[in-house]
Amino acid sequence: MKYDKFFALAKEAGIQEAELYISQKYEISVSLFHGEVDNNSVSNGFTILARGSYNGKFGMASCDVWNAEKAAFLVKEIVANAKVIENEDPVFIFKGSEKYNKINYFNKNLALIPLEDKLAKLYELEKALRDYDKRIVEVQTVEYSENANSITLINTNGLKLVQKSNHYSYVGVVAAKEGNQAKTGFEVMFDNDFSKADMKLLAKKIGEKAIQQLGGEACDSNTYKAVLSPDVVSDLVRFYVGHASAEEVQKRSSLFIGKVNQKVASSKVTIEEKPLSRNLFARWFDDEGVATKNKFIIKNGVLQGYLYNLTTAHKDGVASTGNGYIGGGKMDVDLGFLAVRPGKKSQDELFAEIGDGVYITEVSGLHSGMNPQSGNFSLQSTGFLIKDGKKGRGLDLITVSGNIVDLFKDIQAVGSDVKVFPSAVSCSSVMIKKIIVSGK
Amino acid sequence: MISKKLAIDVLNESLATGADYAEIFFEDSTYYATSLENGKVETSSSGSACGVGLRLLKENQCVYGYTNDLSKKGLFDLANSLNKSFHSERLITVKKLDMIRSKNRNPVANSYDGIRREEKIALLKEGIAEIEKGKDPRIVRHLAHFINNHRFVAIFNSKEKWFKRESEFGRLVFNVIAADQNGFETAFEGPGCQQDISYFKTKIDVVKLARKTVDTALKMLTAKECPSGKMPVVIGNGWGGVLFHEACGHALEASSVAKGLSCFSNKIGEMIASPIVSAVDDSTIPQAWGSIDIDDEGNLGEKRILIKNGKLMDYMVDDFNGRRMGRSGNGACRRQNYRYCPTSRMSNTYIANGKSTPEEIIAATKLGLYTVGFNGGSVDPSTGEFNFGCSEAYIIRDGKICEPVKGATLIGHGDEILKKIDMVGNDLDLGQGMCGASSGSIRTNVGQPTIRISEVTVGGRGGELK
Repeated sequence: MKYDKFFALAKEAGIQEAELYISQKYEISVSLFHGEVDNNSVSNGFTILARGSYNGKFGMASCDVWNAEKAAFLVKEIVANAKVIENEDPVFIFKGSEKYNKINYFNKNLALIPLEDKLAKLYELEKALRDYDKRIVEVQTVEYSENANSITLINTNGLKLVQKSNHYSYVGVVAAKEGNQAKTGFEVMFDNDFSKADMKLLAKKIGEKAIQQLGGEACDSNTYKAVLSPDVVSDLVRFYVGHASAEEVQKRSSLFIGKVNQKVASSKVTIEEKPLSRNLFARWFDDEGVATKNKFIIKNGVLQGYLYNLTTAHKDGVASTGNGYIGGGKMDVDLGFLAVRPGKKSQDELFAEIGDGVYITEVSGLHSGMNPQSGNFSLQSTGFLIKDGKKGRGLDLITVSGNIVDLFKDIQAVGSDVKVFPSAVSCSSVMIKKIIVSGK
Repeated sequence: MISKKLAIDVLNESLATGADYAEIFFEDSTYYATSLENGKVETSSSGSACGVGLRLLKENQCVYGYTNDLSKKGLFDLANSLNKSFHSERLITVKKLDMIRSKNRNPVANSYDGIRREEKIALLKEGIAEIEKGKDPRIVRHLAHFINNHRFVAIFNSKEKWFKRESEFGRLVFNVIAADQNGFETAFEGPGCQQDISYFKTKIDVVKLARKTVDTALKMLTAKECPSGKMPVVIGNGWGGVLFHEACGHALEASSVAKGLSCFSNKIGEMIASPIVSAVDDSTIPQAWGSIDIDDEGNLGEKRILIKNGKLMDYMVDDFNGRRMGRSGNGACRRQNYRYCPTSRMSNTYIANGKSTPEEIIAATKLGLYTVGFNGGSVDPSTGEFNFGCSEAYIIRDGKICEPVKGATLIGHGDEILKKIDMVGNDLDLGQGMCGASSGSIRTNVGQPTIRISEVTVGGRGGELK
């Protein structure tokens, strides 16, 4: 069914302007356990989010089946939701940006490669992991998945935008054991060019992650100089940059209030939002239909500006920065692909420079151990001691604590070991002045 | 809803290539969410989720898919895309579907469908009035939410059975953000249940709840940073059960146990905890947040004794993972919605009451940490390594609760922590949370009485505990 029916019903019901955000996702995944297919799935998902302005207030409703009955449901719910809204914020259904920098990151060849070829690599990955080291006692899972996604934005102001993307990923998880100590290793590779699927390299990364942690024990509780791995930086950077959201600033719950053009990080830190990168995170329009652009958020430690959607931009009398993304049942302010600008030093050079300290490779429990508002964190971690400028013994059962703004101010060097993460972050290792470690 | 006849046809199409089990999971649910920010309704949204998940099993292989195309063609296309995974002769033909009936332990007297948004907003505003009353200028932002969900599920399977289940739940949340020159702190309260709105009007004191949220945020704003290192920790009742949920509960799910991937695999009958610890996962508590009458594959909900006096008694098991364990499921198979393949999950999981009073536990602790508010946590079931974050905690000195501290994270190995529980209180309570795992985000209760752990590694920024 076409979407005209919805727009006609909306008009009849007195909805002045309306918009549909249609997301379609096709996904297949196959996982192996002990050399046999364990789980596979095929899914074809569809979600429609409808927004409409009714007497100057926004109502929002969603559904995942499209027929006349659901179109009527959306209209009814938009009106009922709009009627109870009390905040006075202006509402916008966008007419369109003057210019869009369209990015096409859809590789039609990916779907043409036979599934057998894709699975052959999965078996190769499982075998490579089994053979990696005799201390690997179990290959818990290896999984191939492939996605094709499309986003369509269509509204009563004549806007119709469509963006498609696809990618595949290989994931592996292993358990390694030595004595009574068990450790797991996990890594993922993703792309949409199948020729880049290198299972030997992936197996090496997964195997190394598990094996290297064996033999670790807690270090003394103390404050240490530290190198944080790209994995750790990728986990922390979104919490940090999230404070540049104009919504958080306007609602007085940001750590960056009044900090534009001021130092919020060490001068070694430059962070860009690059939604126009040619990768699977590319977005050339945001969820309001505003053209996105690559921009500096923090340049040499200085905050360049806040991030806006249409509503927060109107309040501050500026233009939207193309950061309107749907989240939590409303049009929120969010970020696309983030890139932390790399430095020139290798990780080994960072270790040498630090002399004695800790190298933190992973943190977990961010949803409970990170207070996004205060930026204070205390996180379960793994890593290594750094002794005499070299990576030393493993660290087990420790936590690292600090404040995220202090941490970015304490960065003394950024490494050259760039890694791109599924969380839409590109970053490398960083060397910091101090971090509090709880151990023995 | 799809007809029984169509369900039989889709099951038979799915089984054509030799699957030994097929199951259709139909879902039609609606949700409503209203949020107030600083006292004004900021967002109101609602939606419907409707789709079919189809699961085929053959020995130890599971194939899953879902679609929003509920036409005969849409469902047959899905069946044919999934049954391609198998290549043998048909084993089963479904000829009929008999309905399984179950006791409805979670009836909602007055459906939320008939409750106007304004009524929920008025309820939230009672609490907001308390927050705004003589408002402390350090309260910079406050949010209040009411969420309710009405879910209809029908499952048809190749055992020639079908059943339907209708459930509703509601949740009310207050979230307060306080700030001073030193930074921000937040506090959160969010009771929920499978009962109608009268529960929130009569059983929950909304004003008191809002006051508590404000008081906690302000108290934590001025609290010192939590000390770090190893120390005795007393964990308060109710939400404190998130420790057991993370440290042990996940590792007792068949999804990791069946493949030998859990630190508790093959340990039935062994002492895995201190002899004063007994623990339960109970899907049958009437109208509780995590209760289910029938699980997401048609097995009746059960009360599972997981640990009795320290000895491991049982796991949470679903039929598919049960195949590797040589047993059937025990009503613990769950999923967020039709988009997720179901697996073994927790429901209402708690450590049972012991003999000490909470006062005795505090009094018996010379120097340690007392934690009463929690943010949640996570675990790696195969290593047992867990973490959980505390939102409200105090130092215990000479058997007395003293200064508040913030930013505490507890870490350890689940199998070791269970053995270090040296006091169990008699004040069991449950707390409502959302649990995320491979089959999505589901409602679970965590729970426990006040307990003491003789030694835990505590992460914090406050230096050594003195």
